[in-house]
Amino acid sequence: MKTKQMMNITMLIAISILFHLIEATIPLPLPIPGFKLGLANIVGLVALYMYNAEVMLSVNLMRVLLASLMRGILFAPGFWLSLCGVLLSSIVAICAKRNTSMTIFGVSCASSAFHVVGQVIAVTIIYSQFLMGALLPILLLLSIPTGLLTGFFANQVLKRIQTER
Amino acid sequence: MNKADKIFIGLVVISAILLYIPLFIQDSQNKHKQKAVVVDYQNEEILRVDLNKDETYRVQASLGEVQIEVKDGAVRVEKENSPYHLCSIQGWVKDTGRPIICLPNELVVQIEANETGEDDVDTVIQ
Repeated sequence: MKTKQMMNITMLIAISILFHLIEATIPLPLPIPGFKLGLANIVGLVALYMYNAEVMLSVNLMRVLLASLMRGILFAPGFWLSLCGVLLSSIVAICAKRNTSMTIFGVSCASSAFHVVGQVIAVTIIYSQFLMGALLPILLLLSIPTGLLTGFFANQVLKRIQTER
Repeated sequence: MNKADKIFIGLVVISAILLYIPLFIQDSQNKHKQKAVVVDYQNEEILRVDLNKDETYRVQASLGEVQIEVKDGAVRVEKENSPYHLCSIQGWVKDTGRPIICLPNELVVQIEANETGEDDVDTVIQ
């Protein structure tokens, strides 16, 4: 791995940790547990499109690990929820990019939808609560606009990065 | 956005609606039944009260005391200790399909329909 690429990836991880922490501190006014914008996913998508699947996975996993460490919830339930969501969403995003003709918007929607699914699965396992399933439809519906939003931002970032090179 | 994107979004919306249908059916079936407020802590029922009786209840959960208010056929979590207070922000709930879930407290407040239904009225014939 070249030093420049390594530096860039480090920067991406730093930015995504920042987004993650901002999102964790400012709760959204919408009273639905589990709903958030997924700003940190912008960075994951940028990593996926700038480099490759491996970089995206490492950026996302490092982000969850370090951000949880900073918030002091490492290995607490909240950490496992994040980890489960981020793993499923990254894998789905990678598969979607590799195997289908979806653009960055579709990939972003897929990853945000499966983040929700991953989190609901994690809640079901950790708390043995099947009731979270009652929130799955509304969370899935909301994941589409948030996915489009993150896709839009990632698209803009990528456009500007590519013109600068 | 190309065709594949739109197909995927359509699939997600359809699956969300399909997942909602059983909840909706259950809710409409329960509309005219007697309802009870059920509070679960760590997946065990700790409180079951009548929805039509206005009162405030206190229960102990993981992060301390939780106040649950029942009024005018609706229920809400009035006061609780949790990082974002999502369950108290959620406000009043009066149908069976929407549980109030407070994960930090491991508490679930839910409205359930009594199986006996409307026929279960005590009558005394003299």
